[in-house]
Amino acid sequence: MATQAEARALRLSELPFETSVNAGPKYVGGFFTAIREIASHRELLDLLIRRELKSRYKDSSLGFLWSLIKPLVQLLIYYVFIGQVLGAAKGVADFAIFVFAGLTLWGLYSETIATGTASIVSNGGLIKKVYLPREIFPLAATGSAIFNFLVQMVVLLAAIVLLGQFPISLNLLYVPAAFVIVLIWGVAFAVLLSALNVYLRDIQYLVEVVMLLLFWASPIVYSWGFVVAAVKNHTWLLEVYLLNPISLSILAFQRGLWQAGSQTRVLEGREVPPQDWPAYMDLRLAAAAVVGLIVLFIAQRIFSRLQGNFAQEI
Amino acid sequence: MPSQSDPRVLAKAPTVVRATDVSKRFVIRKEKSLKERIVNFGRSQKHKDDFWALRNVSFEIKAGTTIGLVGANGSGKSTLLKVLGGIIQPNDGTVERRGRLAALLELGAGFHPDLTGRENVYLNSSILGLSRKQTDEYFQSIVDFSEIEEFIDTQVKFYSSGMYVRLAFAIAVHVDPDILLVDEVLAVGDEPFQAKCMSKIRQFQAEGRTIILVSHSAGQIEDLCDRVVVLSHGNVVFDGDAAGGLLALRESFEH
Ligand SMILES: Nc1ncnc2c1ncn2[C@@H]1O[C@H](COP(=O)(O)OP(=O)(O)OP(=O)(O)O)[C@@H](O)[C@H]1O
Ligand SMILES: [Mg+2]
Repeated sequence: MATQAEARALRLSELPFETSVNAGPKYVGGFFTAIREIASHRELLDLLIRRELKSRYKDSSLGFLWSLIKPLVQLLIYYVFIGQVLGAAKGVADFAIFVFAGLTLWGLYSETIATGTASIVSNGGLIKKVYLPREIFPLAATGSAIFNFLVQMVVLLAAIVLLGQFPISLNLLYVPAAFVIVLIWGVAFAVLLSALNVYLRDIQYLVEVVMLLLFWASPIVYSWGFVVAAVKNHTWLLEVYLLNPISLSILAFQRGLWQAGSQTRVLEGREVPPQDWPAYMDLRLAAAAVVGLIVLFIAQRIFSRLQGNFAQEI
Repeated sequence: MPSQSDPRVLAKAPTVVRATDVSKRFVIRKEKSLKERIVNFGRSQKHKDDFWALRNVSFEIKAGTTIGLVGANGSGKSTLLKVLGGIIQPNDGTVERRGRLAALLELGAGFHPDLTGRENVYLNSSILGLSRKQTDEYFQSIVDFSEIEEFIDTQVKFYSSGMYVRLAFAIAVHVDPDILLVDEVLAVGDEPFQAKCMSKIRQFQAEGRTIILVSHSAGQIEDLCDRVVVLSHGNVVFDGDAAGGLLALRESFEH
């Protein structure tokens, strides 16, 4: 009996002291400390992602099929109303593939940000009771967004294969690049906004509205060709348009998966030229990734400043 | 008293928690939404109250001690436990600690209401640092201890508060903690369960674990604690043996 106590005392006397997390955030190295801390909680992150997915569809009988139904209905709406009724599909071959590609990547971004922003507040129960690296909550939201993205990706790829449009070219490399960039920016905003949302609850509603607007700032239901035609001679407007890393990523994503965009097709007797993809796409993507990483770094620093008071503010 | 730790062992035990000059200030802002912020803009600086929930609290806790934290309502006990557990950060001072820590803070452990008891057991033990495999091993004895086998696959939002605490306590004592923080949670358990918890706590004492206990029950404190710290308005007003502590507590009510 006493020996067990003694053994414990001996083990404890050899452990180093951990200081309260307070000291960390002020240093640049805190970013890497945070990453290491999160990495050591991988198993928990995995559990939280499952929990996120599970609790979302917990009481519904169709369960996770809902994560497919929503984008498919969206596709239907955009295909029928914007594409056919309003005529956006006229100059765009394989309009369904085009729209669904854009919707899929956009879904990843908007879901990461929307659920990520709410994640700290909605996990208040845990945050008030236990210490964890709190970045784990926006990351878990991101994880579940990735899951939904992958499900849609499977549908998209299946459709592309069925339609015999599988693009075998180096352009395919644009797909992972676009995914990574969207992820970097999505996580950066999710981390930042989730922390701000604790102090100002309006953020989570504001985000929804802003995302609604941003949807139209990216070439999802209208094509890049449409943008080029619309700005006419003011080519500097195109540069401004491309400053949005998400628009750029969506273009890259479409370039990788939407074969018809890079070919000359004949639509209703008219010849449709390939999209005039933006110049220096690789360079732009690299820049978007680097800037995104810097923004992510800053977001995490702000998060770690604010997180000290999460438990008492929620 | 037999339940208390052997003083000879305690004397050479290593320190597991060290609080140095810990102060915690709360700023109470009433407005949380954008509208309120804008309406009160400018005035809001003047309109926020702040007060110190903890002021220059310092102490050391040696491994194997059972320490009772007492004080009037609002004296800062729960705040101190949260600071010790790293859940909130102090404005001033530092907390150092070592060893695995499990905390039962106020009502409700970190459970997710939409998940079942089973899923919450896995979630919580993972938070406390157990791997999935380790939890598999402990799972049955957690369920047995909590005696809620029937409800283990029910979502915890349908649990009664006693069932909640049973499960939370069962998890906390099965993750092999070196330090256990307990904040008044035992009060909602029924008598047999409270007795079970008490004997578990005694077993923990014998195993050399450190327990920090917040309680309003003088009997419990007297029974279990080697040492009592009395808080009053965020200040430590007494730090010593149980009998003296309870006396100081009664005195502190008068202020
Ligand atoms: N998140 C918070 N924001 C603002 N003030 C807080 C917060 N949490 C606690 N306080 C204040 O800090 C003081 C100490 O609270 P605490 O919960 O530590 O008291 P306690 O000693 O645990 O009391 P009780 O015996 O009622 O549990 C109280 O006046 C309380 O109002
Ligand atoms: Mg309390």
